[in-house]
Amino acid sequence: MSAVNREFIALLREKGVVPASGPEAPEVTADRPWFVSLLQGVAGWLAGIFLLVFLGMVLKPDSSVALFILGSMLLVAAWFMYHADRHGAFLDQLALAISIAGQLALAASVLKDHFSALGASVTALVLQILVLLVMPNKIARTLAALFATAAWVYTVRFLVRPGSIESIFFEERFANDAASGLWLLPVAWLLTWLPLLALAGWLILREPQWMASGLRQFARPMLTGVLLGLSIGTIVAEPFTMVILGTELWGRGIDWLAIFPLLSIALALFAAYGAFRVRSNGLLGFAVVAALLHLGRFYYLYGTTLLWKSVIMLCAGAALLLAGIALRNREADAGGST
Amino acid sequence: MRRGYTPPRMQPKLKRSELDGLAEFHSLTPTKVEALLDLANARPSRAEGLRFLGLCLRIAGILSLAAGLVFFVAANWARIAVFGRFALVELVLVICAAVAFLKPPPSFAGRGSIFLAFIATGALLALFGQTYQTGADVYELFLTWALLGLPLAIAAQWSVASAAWVLVLNLALVLFCGWHPTGGMLWILFGGTRFQPAHLVMGAAWVNLALWFLFEFWSVQAVPDWVRRLLMSCAFGFGTWAGVMSIVEIGYNHDGPRNDSLTFVTLTLAMLATTIYTWRRKADIYPLAVVMGTFIILSLTWLGQLNGFHDEGMFLMLALWLIGASTAAGRVLTVLHRRWREEAA
Repeated sequence: MSAVNREFIALLREKGVVPASGPEAPEVTADRPWFVSLLQGVAGWLAGIFLLVFLGMVLKPDSSVALFILGSMLLVAAWFMYHADRHGAFLDQLALAISIAGQLALAASVLKDHFSALGASVTALVLQILVLLVMPNKIARTLAALFATAAWVYTVRFLVRPGSIESIFFEERFANDAASGLWLLPVAWLLTWLPLLALAGWLILREPQWMASGLRQFARPMLTGVLLGLSIGTIVAEPFTMVILGTELWGRGIDWLAIFPLLSIALALFAAYGAFRVRSNGLLGFAVVAALLHLGRFYYLYGTTLLWKSVIMLCAGAALLLAGIALRNREADAGGST
Repeated sequence: MRRGYTPPRMQPKLKRSELDGLAEFHSLTPTKVEALLDLANARPSRAEGLRFLGLCLRIAGILSLAAGLVFFVAANWARIAVFGRFALVELVLVICAAVAFLKPPPSFAGRGSIFLAFIATGALLALFGQTYQTGADVYELFLTWALLGLPLAIAAQWSVASAAWVLVLNLALVLFCGWHPTGGMLWILFGGTRFQPAHLVMGAAWVNLALWFLFEFWSVQAVPDWVRRLLMSCAFGFGTWAGVMSIVEIGYNHDGPRNDSLTFVTLTLAMLATTIYTWRRKADIYPLAVVMGTFIILSLTWLGQLNGFHDEGMFLMLALWLIGASTAAGRVLTVLHRRWREEAA
């Protein structure tokens, strides 16, 4: 056990939080900084894709059943690897790559003969929830939570506005009848983000409760994944907004829809606050970068002129600055009165 | 001279995964977990939360005002005459200077106003180019902005202003290296056949790396660890770009990269210098992670170039190499992280 842990354990014993005598807790071996997890996550994903291409070329599974069997076998193999190496970090990457390959194969088996945009979104969502619940590994669960968030965004998008998979990135046809469906935008936004905001808020507020139960192994990766999703998820939702506004509406006069990209920044700032609450500098940095990305998107996209965008930003800036100064003054008053 | 820094990540604080481990091992009740979190200082108090929120709002406010100014100049509003547009941006500059004079940094008002002045400088340059159609390349705008804005970034004594300056400089470098405008003042020096594009990209990497080393040795409060990490990321972002160009032979003239030992040597030197320095400092493993990431990407590109993607064996080899290399990198980084943190304690 490290000196840091020893010192802290002594304090916990002194305060009666842990028993005064008894065995020492084993060191957490899988603890790694966020950028190491990022490096390993990206490498694992890419390796998984290479592995699936290799297996596809060798085994040539041309039916849904063959793909299903292949995907299931890969996922089971990944589970065993994670389980066998749950206290180490040697098989993690191999298991992650195999798990990714398995997920892709399983998704392909479901969608091969009955392909639809909504089907793809729901399949991805179900698969990611399954991985989150089953895989005994923190990185795998965190990635699953993040991808489940993205899949959820798409599921709501295709539930509210059914479309084909080709329309995921560029769909302009809705621009023609935007007026008839403008109400969809706020409804879909609320449907998409309110549950995720509520989940993140609940997980942050109830942290001591779930830490004291078996839920911690799911809740911790879920909190990380949802905070990441809240930061960047609106970029995934971008096509949805494009569907509503359409590129034909770029540069038109101001209307209330122009404030929607600012809501993405608000979501990222909520994620930043959540990251601060769990004292995660990595998550905080990610949320700030995401907020700046949203600002860049606001510049290039959405249906209003740059002049109105400028007015919006200046007003928002003044309001934020005043609110920040008011908070600081209140804090100073509270400090002075105590 | 005071040595560099003690990054927050290396401070001997218990991380959430370690606290989870303790809660699980001792089967703590919710009340005891609350005590555990409080003793570990793992949850901010209400006052801390409000302070963070207040700071966030003020920074977001300054950034929004800066964005509003840039958007306004970009909008090129026809109802205001040229003189009026210049006067407006210059007025912002004067107001910012006045506020900074009355409330100099490190007060937030001083920092924020100098940061706004830095943004206004860029807006003014863009307005100048937009109005008089100077014919300057886009990279020249950003490069001039970086040069003229440097005194402001220094005067602000603020990490946000430092990061903004780093971003502007790197945007200029990306545009210079990436767009090949074959025009502008720098291309007179570095264009033609004297330098390969990969050399220019590697030069941009070394600019960032030199700044990183500078602020490692010369401790400046306005350039904290996260800004240095930004410099390191930019340095090896360019380094990886140059390496990939060299391996896949993109952007070379008819001689090809056969004689391009310069890119290989300078990139290897950059990786070695960073590794040796970081190893000796034992303060932050981030630079090592970036070097390893660069190595993994370059080796993967090189393997892919060996035989192309014609047979299945190549995909298996790439997958296995990625798994092996990232496992080894992760293992080394995790062990070093723990060991250095222990030593720092």
